[in-house]
Amino acid sequence: MQNFALQRQVNQFRRIFQDPVLAIALLGVSLFVFILILLPLFSVIGESLSPKNAPLFQRYLTEPIYQNIILNTLVLGVLTAAVSTAVGFLFAFVQVKLDVPFKRLMHILALIPIISPPFAVATAIIVLFGRNGVITRGVFGVRFDIYGLFGLTLALSLSLFTVAYLTLRGMMQALDPALDEAATNLGAGKWRVFRTVTLPMLLPGIASAFLLVFVEAIADLGNPLVLGGNFEVLATRIYISIIGLYDTSSAAVFSLILLVPSLLVFILQNYIISRSNVVSVTGKPSGTPQYIHAPLVRWTLFGLCMAICLLIALIYGTIVLGAFVEVLGVNNNFTLRHFDFVLNGLGSKAMWDTTRLSIISTPVAGLLGMLIAFLVVRKEFFGRAALDFATMLGIAVPGTIIGIGFLLVFNTPTVWELPFFGPVTVLPKLTGGQAMFGGALAIVIVYVIRSVPTALRAGVAALTQIDPAIEEASVSLGADNARTFRRITLPLIRPALLASLIFAFARSMTTISAIVFLTTPQTRIMTQQILNEVENVRYGNAFAYCVILILIVLTAIGVLYLGVGSTTGAERAFQGGAR
Amino acid sequence: MNEGQTVRLRLDHLTKIFPQRGGKGNVVAVDDVTLDIYSGEFITLLGPSGCGKTTTLRLIAGFELPNQGQILLEGQDITHQPPNKRDMALVFQNYALFPHLTVYRNVAYGLETRGLPARTIRERVGEVLALVGLEGLEDRRPNQLSGGQQQRVALARCLVMQPRILLFDEPLSNLDAKLRVQMRSEIHALQRRLHITSIYVTHDQTEAMALSDRIVVMNGGRIEQVGSPPEIYRCPSTRFVADFIGRANFLPIELTARQGETAAFHLLGQSLRAPLPASGAENLVAMLRPEALMLRDDPDLPQVQIIQTMYLGSEVEYVVQHEDQRLIVVEHDPRNRRIFAEGERAGVTFVPEAVHLLGDGA
Repeated sequence: MQNFALQRQVNQFRRIFQDPVLAIALLGVSLFVFILILLPLFSVIGESLSPKNAPLFQRYLTEPIYQNIILNTLVLGVLTAAVSTAVGFLFAFVQVKLDVPFKRLMHILALIPIISPPFAVATAIIVLFGRNGVITRGVFGVRFDIYGLFGLTLALSLSLFTVAYLTLRGMMQALDPALDEAATNLGAGKWRVFRTVTLPMLLPGIASAFLLVFVEAIADLGNPLVLGGNFEVLATRIYISIIGLYDTSSAAVFSLILLVPSLLVFILQNYIISRSNVVSVTGKPSGTPQYIHAPLVRWTLFGLCMAICLLIALIYGTIVLGAFVEVLGVNNNFTLRHFDFVLNGLGSKAMWDTTRLSIISTPVAGLLGMLIAFLVVRKEFFGRAALDFATMLGIAVPGTIIGIGFLLVFNTPTVWELPFFGPVTVLPKLTGGQAMFGGALAIVIVYVIRSVPTALRAGVAALTQIDPAIEEASVSLGADNARTFRRITLPLIRPALLASLIFAFARSMTTISAIVFLTTPQTRIMTQQILNEVENVRYGNAFAYCVILILIVLTAIGVLYLGVGSTTGAERAFQGGAR
Repeated sequence: MNEGQTVRLRLDHLTKIFPQRGGKGNVVAVDDVTLDIYSGEFITLLGPSGCGKTTTLRLIAGFELPNQGQILLEGQDITHQPPNKRDMALVFQNYALFPHLTVYRNVAYGLETRGLPARTIRERVGEVLALVGLEGLEDRRPNQLSGGQQQRVALARCLVMQPRILLFDEPLSNLDAKLRVQMRSEIHALQRRLHITSIYVTHDQTEAMALSDRIVVMNGGRIEQVGSPPEIYRCPSTRFVADFIGRANFLPIELTARQGETAAFHLLGQSLRAPLPASGAENLVAMLRPEALMLRDDPDLPQVQIIQTMYLGSEVEYVVQHEDQRLIVVEHDPRNRRIFAEGERAGVTFVPEAVHLLGDGA
């Protein structure tokens, strides 16, 4: 029977290579994953594990100062994950289980962090609650030290709770109300139903949200740079090693130390999610969800939620206001100086460059994600699961590490000495001085690999909702794989494509950690300019950048909605199914 | 009836093995299947779920590749040809209509793929829609159609391709009972009119009987019997076929003699002769369809006890106890005959020509 397994794989490859377009797609995707995701990652690992770095490892893992940095990173990760998951759960619960006013507003406020640049929240928090804070000093008259673990946890939680909120809201909506009804029918009170049915069913979702936030929190660079103070984490250490000390070796060693918990937690999260399918076996809710009416529960949770919303509104209000006044809290005179700087002055190049590069990367990331999803869900080939996993590494690996990987692989062109042909440039120089397209190509590639994982997940979710027979019907009627994908699959997963494009654009515009080492004088990126302005305490300029950035993202969302369309034209057939 | 007809499709020792889900080991879904399908005939693959009929169809369509064996379309080896290059069209169980395209675009899809000129496409789509009675619904989306209409679109979408072979994968199983009968008759009429070579997969034996020129009964990945509906019903070659197609009583016989290809034996008090089964089995049983048995108020006949009586209008169905065996007896048109009550005793007899001998073990 051994030869049947082999024959099966031969057959699978025969099938794929019979269709040249499919073969090229698979080859292209594999090359993309291998050269642009795995190669940089392995370079970082290889560099960090080279024998000359052994003493560094020993120092970093034994000396208290470095142990502290590692501990700080993990503590920040756990605290942020705990707070974010709690807030996310609160928001999701209020949305799904309570009948209260302002739900739509709460939802929108909870989504703002997706389109918000890094530093925006951190900077606003400094302006509001710092030593000279508008609230801490201005209202209460205290010189509060916001820098450090508390401020960081606050800023990160306010940015990352969205992840937990969306995960948990989806899960709560997918919960079959019949289960609640059954428990109630058996005589359980609301609290008992929540404790014995709802909560256990949501446990995988809660765990998964916690782990997702943890991975993002320990990878975050922007907030610790601005709000860290003396509280150092691995990401900032890596940044300083490269930017301040030009020390690739120690940066690589720190990267590996950061990579290990990131990947372990990511794999654990995947495992939990893969096992928690029980939650939505039936797909669509069969009964009507019952709201919780107990006034105490209802209004306490509502009050909590509104308080957080108020804080979010305050922070984003500060950003907008701060962009229009000289120095918020010090000199509150109206000015357009900051906008002039961004739109017409030194800042405008960064604005245009960033937008242009994001516009290039967005469709590439969206379509690539859908294509990989199509291959992973619909085609059988050796290494399918590996392709999925390797693509997901684009987001599971902290951005700083990807940046270093790019420096390691692409800072010098890779030239192979081939017989007959002579030297052939296999991989061009993409980063540093004299890089291809002034380093812009490297940034576009990083944007793409950071966005593809989300598109892949959205595509996989949408595809698993569509009967494969529909695509088989197309093939049976004579269409090849390319035509089937273009004419049948893509239109049917249009909502997922739209979501992926929006997300890809927003992420590209707001990313910092992955591109911070890749910008060159020829290619300026907004997020990095914001960092510059914040570090030089020109908060007004930073806020103006943030406002402009948010406006660009919102405009893009509008354009994408109109251009791509959010419907498939088959809505009634897939009622509620495509989302 | 098949002599002199040309072979359209030949399945030559096809075997398909799937790895078992989640575990070690393999499942043999199609096991050494060899079959000729003639031009213009309507052939049905019939069997219980898991018998390999759908896998066989998917091998023919090209969605699966066989581990062994060959598929020949008009003598040409197409075993490894991709499905979109095969001149066949498949009507899916769930219709698999393109939900984002209108009826017209659904039907035109295959012709557009072939790159035919727009005018030709318009004409042919129009003809086919008229053929299946869908004129006027061109601009509807599939979700605006009833189940029967969706089924017709699925059929039209395949017919318009004028394929060399039309494949059906349980196309009626999603329709309600009444509509199923109606669509069955429409498919029957269309196929007889257009003479499209058709391979039809179903687990519904009535559907198979109603539609087919020939039926292929499958079990456990193997072909049990191939024959016309009357052949399959009257002379099943195995107990499985007898049991799966319609209902059957198996009665023990007292063999008195074997002469060449016939056997002489006693059955229910009568002596008679019948052809021996081809398999040449040692232990024989007699198969009698329920309608071949009759109950009479006659004390001279072997006596049975009535266990259950079900009045069904056009017939009465009895379950009776004969010695240590339960038999099913169906009396058609019971208007002029007395209906036996549960608990009564009656004499049992049968139509001698209906007796069919089978090997006991098979």
